[in-house]
Amino acid sequence: MAALAGGPDPLFGLRNSFYIGAYQAAINNSEIPNLSPDDVVERDSLVYRSYIALGSYQLVINEIDSSAATPLQAVKLLAWYLSSPENKEMTISSLHEWLEDPAIGNNPVLRLVAGIIFTHEQDYNEALKYTNAGGTMELHALNVQIFLKMHRSDYAEKQLRVMQQIDEDHTLTQLANAWLNLAVGGSKIQEAFLIFQDFSEKYQMTSLILNGKAVCCMHKGEFDEAELLLLEALNKDAKDPETLANLVVCGLHLGKSSSRYLSQLKLSNQDHILVKRASNAEESFDKAVHAFA
Amino acid sequence: MLTKFETKSNRVKGLSFHSKRPWILASLHSGVVQLWDYRMGTLIDRFDEHDGPVRGVHFHKSQPLFVSGGDDYKIKVWNYKLHRCLFTLLGHLDYIRTVQFHHENPWIVSASDDHTIRIWNWQSRTCISVLTGHNHYVMCASFHPKEDLVVSASLDQTVRVWDIGALRKKTVSPADDIMRLSQMNTDFFGGVDAVVKYVLEGHDRGVNWASFHPTLPLIVSGADDRQVKIWRMNDTKAWEVDTLRGHMNNVSCVLFHSRQDIIVSNSEDKSIRVWDATKRTGLQTFRREHDRFWILAAHPEINLLAAGHDTGMIVFKLERERPAFSLSGDSLFYVKDRFLRAFEYSTQKDTQLIPIRRPGSNTLNQGPRTLSYSPTENAVLVCSDIDGGSYELYVVPKDSYGRGDMVQEAKRGVGGSAVFVARNRFAVLEKSSNQVLVKNLKNEIVKKSPLPIATDAVFYAGTGNLLCRAEDKVVIFDLQQRIVLGDLQTSFVRYVVWSQDMESVALLSKHSIIIADKKLVHRCTLHETIRVKSGAWDDHGVFIYTTLTHIKYCLPNGDNGIIKTLDVPVYITKIYGNTIFCLDRDGKNRPIIIDSTEYIFKLSLLRKRYDQVMSMIKNSELCGQAMIAYLQQKGFPQVALYFVKDERTRFNLALESGNIEKALESAKKIDEKDHWYRLGVEALRQGNTGIVEYAYQRTKNFERLSFHYLITGNLDKLSKMMKIAEVKNDVMGQFHDALYLGDVRERIKILENAGHLPLAYITASVHGLHDIAERLAGELGDNVPSLPEGRKASLLIPPSPALCAGDWPLLMVSKGIFEGGLDDTGSGAQEDYEEAADADWGEALDIGEVDSIQNGDISMVLEDEHVHEENEEEGGWDLEDLDLPPDADTPKNTQNARSSVFVAPTPGMPVSQIWVQRSSLAAEHAAAGNFDTAMRLLSRQLGIKNFSPLKSLFIDLHMGSQTYLRAFTSAPVISVAVERGWSESASPNVRGPPALVFNFSQLEEKLKVGYKATTAGKFSEALKHFLAILHTIPLIVVETRGEVNEVKELITIVKEYVLGLQMELKRRELKDNPVRQQELAAYFTHCSLQIPHKRLALQNAMTVCFKAQNLSTAAHFARQLLETNPSNENQARTARQVLQAAERNMRDATQLNYDFRNPFVMCGATYVPIYRGQKDVTCPYCSTHFVPAQQGQICNVCDLAVVGSDASGLLCSPSQIR
Repeated sequence: MAALAGGPDPLFGLRNSFYIGAYQAAINNSEIPNLSPDDVVERDSLVYRSYIALGSYQLVINEIDSSAATPLQAVKLLAWYLSSPENKEMTISSLHEWLEDPAIGNNPVLRLVAGIIFTHEQDYNEALKYTNAGGTMELHALNVQIFLKMHRSDYAEKQLRVMQQIDEDHTLTQLANAWLNLAVGGSKIQEAFLIFQDFSEKYQMTSLILNGKAVCCMHKGEFDEAELLLLEALNKDAKDPETLANLVVCGLHLGKSSSRYLSQLKLSNQDHILVKRASNAEESFDKAVHAFA
Repeated sequence: MLTKFETKSNRVKGLSFHSKRPWILASLHSGVVQLWDYRMGTLIDRFDEHDGPVRGVHFHKSQPLFVSGGDDYKIKVWNYKLHRCLFTLLGHLDYIRTVQFHHENPWIVSASDDHTIRIWNWQSRTCISVLTGHNHYVMCASFHPKEDLVVSASLDQTVRVWDIGALRKKTVSPADDIMRLSQMNTDFFGGVDAVVKYVLEGHDRGVNWASFHPTLPLIVSGADDRQVKIWRMNDTKAWEVDTLRGHMNNVSCVLFHSRQDIIVSNSEDKSIRVWDATKRTGLQTFRREHDRFWILAAHPEINLLAAGHDTGMIVFKLERERPAFSLSGDSLFYVKDRFLRAFEYSTQKDTQLIPIRRPGSNTLNQGPRTLSYSPTENAVLVCSDIDGGSYELYVVPKDSYGRGDMVQEAKRGVGGSAVFVARNRFAVLEKSSNQVLVKNLKNEIVKKSPLPIATDAVFYAGTGNLLCRAEDKVVIFDLQQRIVLGDLQTSFVRYVVWSQDMESVALLSKHSIIIADKKLVHRCTLHETIRVKSGAWDDHGVFIYTTLTHIKYCLPNGDNGIIKTLDVPVYITKIYGNTIFCLDRDGKNRPIIIDSTEYIFKLSLLRKRYDQVMSMIKNSELCGQAMIAYLQQKGFPQVALYFVKDERTRFNLALESGNIEKALESAKKIDEKDHWYRLGVEALRQGNTGIVEYAYQRTKNFERLSFHYLITGNLDKLSKMMKIAEVKNDVMGQFHDALYLGDVRERIKILENAGHLPLAYITASVHGLHDIAERLAGELGDNVPSLPEGRKASLLIPPSPALCAGDWPLLMVSKGIFEGGLDDTGSGAQEDYEEAADADWGEALDIGEVDSIQNGDISMVLEDEHVHEENEEEGGWDLEDLDLPPDADTPKNTQNARSSVFVAPTPGMPVSQIWVQRSSLAAEHAAAGNFDTAMRLLSRQLGIKNFSPLKSLFIDLHMGSQTYLRAFTSAPVISVAVERGWSESASPNVRGPPALVFNFSQLEEKLKVGYKATTAGKFSEALKHFLAILHTIPLIVVETRGEVNEVKELITIVKEYVLGLQMELKRRELKDNPVRQQELAAYFTHCSLQIPHKRLALQNAMTVCFKAQNLSTAAHFARQLLETNPSNENQARTARQVLQAAERNMRDATQLNYDFRNPFVMCGATYVPIYRGQKDVTCPYCSTHFVPAQQGQICNVCDLAVVGSDASGLLCSPSQIR
């Protein structure tokens, strides 16, 4: 209940920008005076994670040197993991090593990074091993996401309750609520839409928020509306893989050709889940035909 | 009680409100009558002619008159405009207690200690009736507001009601006015024109006051027995109804409230009491410490009361009259009576939404004070002063507008103020702990947050933000970050009005308005002498506000002015262009149309929107001294120029703005020396020599003119000037001119003529004019002056100026856009200036670059320094790193403990799997990605074996079934399954079927495209479209059985086209087989096609057969073609010609495998007719017929199914399964 009362939070804006996907804004507004040493570390880790989100892995790897604090090291590890998939075994083994180190193993940022990496590896059990204990809003939010990935919206909901008890109005709580709402569908879609709507009124429009709104629209069957939102998102960031992927889906439903978006996505982001889906689908189609013949 | 105005004075015994103006008369014990403006709080006048206390005073309803009566037995009638007493009515024999004008007749009623009541005619200035009957002092007497009745109260413990109907009858027959006068004397005692109707007995002591109810037959009285009594009367009798007890001393005055069902009384116990007139219970008591109350007065029109006491008087209101309202989009929500209502601006529709709790009637001023509305949740917070500040939360049901009278059970709470801060969150101020509680719609506390300043009210300030008000400042507080976003010192803020875009805010105090931006950065402050009531922002960013008396505007820079005068106070709610919407005090929505020209004009000027300014100047009627002064003051004399008709002002403005042409124009019209002079000065400043010259000429300023010609090198004119000077006998001027011209002879002549012979001689000799010198020397004789030696003299001739003709280069006058737009002249010159300006800019830019380079250098140096610093810091960090490990040690154990307990859940079932389990529709399986089951289903249902044409469709279905949600940054995206047929009421967690990318309407569109291509003869393209339809149909899902039939129908339609088009294309390939060509053309006509296509096919077959001399068959086609009634005349004509030609020669050249008399179907593969009775096999999907040899082959038409295989039939709707 620490969140029920407390003094001003100097990192609030920065964190918020990061959560809603305004990464450049987070980086630009990171010069905050009079921070405590802990806050400085958190600030730096947020800034570096923003760079990671923008794809500047190398910058992060270069700038964080070996003497930096544990959270930053963890962030660097994440950058490593994402930048070179070919070396991921090495990254993961050093991650294990760190996690077993009693001195730093419990660091929330390290645990968070572990959760993210193992989620990428689709090893949800391993991810949850480090994240389930929670401790920060981010870890809770990641838990919600992992449970959703596991199609366990019941667990996700429990996790969300925990977040709501801590701080119902926290940006991550609201976001996680929207994710869950989208996953369970039905009347909750409208609630998810309202949450994204609130964000778009309160903060700057990011492609993350616009995509959230568009996804809600698509689930409501309002594909025309969704297309407008996605095009707006594309204006903000022409390379955002989710925007492109959702545009492909939206185009399919509208009966419009979406092959350009698809090839754009294939070029820029060949690991994207949509691209994988497409190629998997082709494979499984051929296999099925083969089996059938 | 809301005190509006207070005075300090001697004891106030009488009070009277003016019916129209904000004035009140107070008559004092000292003998003075004061006239106050209670709105401005000023003493307007005092009337001091009575000796001793003045107890009664009354304004006339319409005339500028008032009447007063005092202890000097005198009734005085005054004209307040003339500031004097008009006349005095004498007759009473003792103190006069009250005086009152009649509402329509020219009468005054007066009550006196001489036991009588008198009625006077103030026009004839006579007493027209004396009402006797009381046997003690009559303390008050007043006319009934409508009927011919008078009520009086007396110390004889009675209240009397008098019928004066006879008196009225007498006055309406004015013929015998004289007679009536004489009659009056006979009536003097026991007169008959005013008779006692009722005597009301019941008070135990003397009665001080009695008054009528404004509409009902009721009387209320107050007496020295400390009681207030209510009396009722009918035509025949009057009786006591009830007694109100509570006053602790003599009741001095009592009256009914005209608008509310209450009685107000005051007493010598120093209190004013408010009573419920129906329930007859006390509602409220206001006490004063030391002052006994003597008199009460009610305003005849508005909700104001006044009370006089020992040391002055107060003007007050019992209840607030501002309706609580809240604005949301196009709607205004407000409370009227006990209902929440909504007013829609666009339609001007007013709806009653829900009833809300009626404030307990045993208290006053407990009605709703503020409203806050959340549009998404349709919830309303109603705040009131009940229980020292509380709120009620209502949710407006969406459908049952205005129905039902049941008050819904509202969620309640105590708090200073409550406002929505987000869609489903509201903030409640808890004053005791100075914190704000954030609650959700269930009225549960979500968050608590201490406030940064001692707050006594909170207002909305954007989502998640609050504007907190303290006595002397306001701050904006961010509830999430818990930081103060901005603060501002203000006087006590009463209302807060945000602009639509939330960028600007207006803080309304009692007598001032502060405009600030969203961070509370001060923009401007306005002070008003009259109370500020309300305000709203218009679309242009102008703040429009009301005071008690006016609608005014305030521009972003603080300029303000009056738009309109108001009769009654209104509360602005919204502004649409020229229409201001307000709520009045009765809770009615009123649109007020205003003329916005003035402030829009000023705004445009302020924003430098000169194009708008110009169009307004041209199109609208803007003028007036105020506007000119404004423009001058704001530095726009050139604009003001266009409003002014008065030449002097024009001249001044033109000079001020440097518009020399306009100034010249005006100067010509004015034609005064002074103006010419000033014009000359300005022209000289600008270098406009032409005008300078003209101005000098007009002012006859020859010296300046000469000098001017010298400077400009205009020697012709200069010599003319010399001549003028000669004519005018101006020797000095003439000499100057000669000097300027360098004309020595002339100078000598002048000197000679002037008698300065020595000088003339010297001049001549110096310049070597020896003949003249000698002549002069001769005249001078001995007095020839000696010339200095050794100096060589030269002729003084002024150098010729560089520029002789035309104007000098003119001083650049900043010409505004106005001149360019409004004057057509001089535009060429202006362009030059602009070019020059451009050149300057270029240079300026260069300078800027140099600067930036320098800056760059400096910053590089700075960076170097930074690097050093950072290195140093790192050294420090290393030390800290060493300290870290032991700190982090302990939590590790807990984590281990936790993780040992935690068991990760098993993964759940993906939505796609749920889809598959539920469905036997192939499309849904494909969408779920289960292609093998989808194929099996299709094979079972439609016998489909060839799936390769369906590949892209399968993949599209699969891809379209999920959307992608970036959730946690850097974590993998969540893919979310999209479901079909969403509705807002669908329950969550219940999976619907997948959304599919193909739908029936798309196919219908495609069909149309196919038709069009067929019509255009693009057969291969058309075939592609039709085949695409045929391939998509197995993956279509529709909802109803009716639609299933439509789908099946579509298969047949499309199949026919595919078959026909395939045959037609085949025919075109066969160039060298005319028989087969004819056959195929003939078969094509047997496919069921749209009529236009049918016609084309027939025409085609006809042509082919005709050419091949198969006339009989051709005739058959021609006949068929004519049967379709072709609209195309060409077609019909050809058909008729063929028919004619064929009839002459009815036979076929070649034998065709085509017997149109025998019904047949086509084989889809071999394109031969299968006549009725012959064996055939069909495609299980498209039901095309085939010759038996095709059994087991892939259908040639749909390219999907195996001919002749078993299939259960098309399954394309869940309704088929149910």
